[in-house]
Amino acid sequence: MIELKDIEIKYGDFTAIKKLNLTIHDGEFFTFLGPSGCGKTTTLRCLAGFIQPSKGAVIIDGKDVTSFSAEKRRIGMVFQSYALFPTMTVYENLAFGLKVKKLPKDVIDQKVRKVAETVSITPEQLSRGVSELSGGQQQRVALARAIVLEPRILCLDEPLSNLDAKLRVELRAEIKALQSRLQITTLYVTHDQTEALTLSDRIAVFRNGAIEQVGTPYEIYNKSSSRFVCGFIGDINHFSQQVVSRLIERYHIPLDASTDAFIRIERMHRVRENADGIVLRTKVLSSEFDGSTTKYTLDYDGQTIKFLELNDGSAVPQTGKDLFLSFNPEDVLQYHAEA
Amino acid sequence: MTISMSKQRPNIGSILTKLLLAYLIITFILFPIISMFGIVFVKDGHLSFSAVRRVFSSPKAMRSIKNSLLLALTMIVSVNLSGTLAVLIMDYWDIKGSKMLRLAYMTPLIYGQITLAMGYKFVYGKAGFVTNLLLKIFPNWNPNWFMGYGAVAFLMTFACTQNHLMFLSSAIKNIDGNIIEAGRSMGASGAKIFFKIVLPILKPSYFAITVLTFLTGMSALSAPLVLGGDNFQTINPMIVMFAQSPRSRDISAFLAVLLGCTTIILMTILNQLEKHGTYMSLSKTKTKLQKQKIQNPVSAVIINALAWIMFVIYVLPIFCVVLFSFTNGLAVKTGVLAKGCFTLQNYKNLFTKMSAFKPYLVSICYSLAAAVIVSLISIIVARIVIKGKSRFKALWEYSVLIPWLLPSTLIALSLMLSFDVRRILVGNRVLVGTAVLLLIGYVIVKLPFSFRMIRAAFFGINDDMEEAAKTMGAGQVRIMAQIIIPYIMPVVSSVIVLNFNNLLSDYDMSVFLYSPRLKPLGIIIKDATDQTATVDAVAMGLVYSVVLMVISAFAIWFSRRDPSARRKKKIATAVQQN
Repeated sequence: MIELKDIEIKYGDFTAIKKLNLTIHDGEFFTFLGPSGCGKTTTLRCLAGFIQPSKGAVIIDGKDVTSFSAEKRRIGMVFQSYALFPTMTVYENLAFGLKVKKLPKDVIDQKVRKVAETVSITPEQLSRGVSELSGGQQQRVALARAIVLEPRILCLDEPLSNLDAKLRVELRAEIKALQSRLQITTLYVTHDQTEALTLSDRIAVFRNGAIEQVGTPYEIYNKSSSRFVCGFIGDINHFSQQVVSRLIERYHIPLDASTDAFIRIERMHRVRENADGIVLRTKVLSSEFDGSTTKYTLDYDGQTIKFLELNDGSAVPQTGKDLFLSFNPEDVLQYHAEA
Repeated sequence: MTISMSKQRPNIGSILTKLLLAYLIITFILFPIISMFGIVFVKDGHLSFSAVRRVFSSPKAMRSIKNSLLLALTMIVSVNLSGTLAVLIMDYWDIKGSKMLRLAYMTPLIYGQITLAMGYKFVYGKAGFVTNLLLKIFPNWNPNWFMGYGAVAFLMTFACTQNHLMFLSSAIKNIDGNIIEAGRSMGASGAKIFFKIVLPILKPSYFAITVLTFLTGMSALSAPLVLGGDNFQTINPMIVMFAQSPRSRDISAFLAVLLGCTTIILMTILNQLEKHGTYMSLSKTKTKLQKQKIQNPVSAVIINALAWIMFVIYVLPIFCVVLFSFTNGLAVKTGVLAKGCFTLQNYKNLFTKMSAFKPYLVSICYSLAAAVIVSLISIIVARIVIKGKSRFKALWEYSVLIPWLLPSTLIALSLMLSFDVRRILVGNRVLVGTAVLLLIGYVIVKLPFSFRMIRAAFFGINDDMEEAAKTMGAGQVRIMAQIIIPYIMPVVSSVIVLNFNNLLSDYDMSVFLYSPRLKPLGIIIKDATDQTATVDAVAMGLVYSVVLMVISAFAIWFSRRDPSARRKKKIATAVQQN
């Protein structure tokens, strides 16, 4: 188990991390998610031992390792830049840490070949220089180099951000499968919400050096605890307080009239004009059809809202036409100013 | 139906410019070099190897070749060690006081070799500050101890680290910090990370620096002249000496050709290294390299001690030169600071006596004129090379790059030997002894550097910008004056400042080409280091050196400043005002 207790990291007068508390369980795939500069990488580097916290403690398996240097924490790290040694071959990169440990040659060879196989590096690729590999292959080498030492914890700092979209999806699945197989506690830093939602057992959403919410992907998405979290994750519609008041007045729905409201774009659904219950008359401003779904941009009561509809064969209304939408009041999220 | 082909009218201005350029290149670059070969290998209209035989049978000449090789080989080891140590202390290890150490280690960038040779002689020479101190402690100490191979090698070891400060330092700063962290997370020690990861990445930089250092050692001039004494003279001082007598000029020319061949071979190797030997960083998102803590306490003590010893070595000559420039003749002569010896008279003389200020004026005029002319030529050639469609445009490029392959001594000597008789190419005149020959020499020697820098700036110009101006009806001259030149101006002004600074204290070219009526600073400073120099001359030499250092420091600041920062500030102010 990993515990971060009251961690504070300062650079001069600037506080990068503010009194952060977090517990990560064994074997968990845990993701730090947030926009650039929110402190997620700083927290990861603090856990890995590259940054000393100004205050607080890093506890791994009940042992305070705050003062331990990186190499004494048994943490495997995959960097955003991969940090492969450019003068060495793939084999030498993988064997480097094992050689530092002064393991016998045959053991090193065995371990290198095994880990290479695990991440689908071919024996032919082992003898190549790392600069001769493609981005995806380099990423595999970086991952293999991090796990070959059989670390207690695996840290991945935006490992897929340098790859193209297709490869990112492929490797995402491979990383998840590898983690499940090895059952290694994994910390993953990303600003990509899809990556976080698809990979993680739990997610911590960061904002301005503090954690906004910790939860499972389901909780983070459906029960966002703050305006920031619900705005950062996925597409959401925002209804102003005036609109909310008018909706309450007209449909008597159990919402708080003193604040605005949010609803996920896919939680709305198309209805007939004369349907029972809530019916919002909107005007189509534009639509993006991608085959499986259509994403509409609509005007409702002077506000621009969005609506995502699965392609069920219904006709796509043209720009300027009316579209009638409804929603379940239980899907509406509301926050007071302090949230 | 008739098809009319619209042919572009030949531009008279462009043709005249190209003709003028061709004349300058042929007359002052190609012709002198060809003449040199004539002097060496042709006697009375026949092929002759007498110059070669005379060099091989001259013990002095042969000793100078051996000494040059010895110095160059020594420097490969010593300069690499001192340069590497300096760069690691500045940029790699986390050492207290590194900012102060950096200032000291960067000092080789602000003085020319002749200035430095003077500083070292002043500190460690016969009446030097350190020698006086040693004599007090050890009365039997040889006052001439700082002379010969050891002294020259010592000076060059600490004076020639510029390449390390520029190239190695930048190579270290370019290393992805995550690589070091990756090594650390795998349990590697600081030493293991340095030797197994960092050093192999720096290998190509080391090859290039080693070649350049070897060349610097081979073509050393000021240091052996000032500190070499009778027993340690290298090729270049011999070239200067042999060139002074008409009977031994062929020997001088052959030695210069020999040096030129060595340079060409090594430059070719360097070029190959530049093309094939760089480890491109794999990182798309590099992390800044964090300075490394020295974990081993013994290593930490040794490295800290070395850092501060080097600090003293670098600072002492400058400190003494600055200090003694504010003292009277007696203190300058004896190297002893007595009560009441401090005075501003030397500086007053510089700015009130024309005789004292004249060398400055001469050097400033020469350097500024050369810096501006060479930039203009470079702009024109770069434009021809980049925009030209002719099959021969590469010829222009190679012609202006020729001096890059030749040591400045060879260029100077070739000019001196080619224009010491009437030549039709220059209006049937003798140029040796006139004021113009040194200016020509300065322009030629700075041409390759200026061309390379300005050509690089031209590459940054977006073609669309020019096309847009054309569609708005702008002609070539307007495009050049209002679009191209303002765009490349920051680079051009940096090139002018760097060239000006570099030429201000030049000795290597000046010694061959100066007019006796217009002695430049380098010659005056060298004269101040002679045994026969008067106390006043030495004192003025110190003042010249101090002012030169101030100018150089300003020039380096100017060339390294970020012009975009100033632009951003201007915009911010304008936004605020609005």
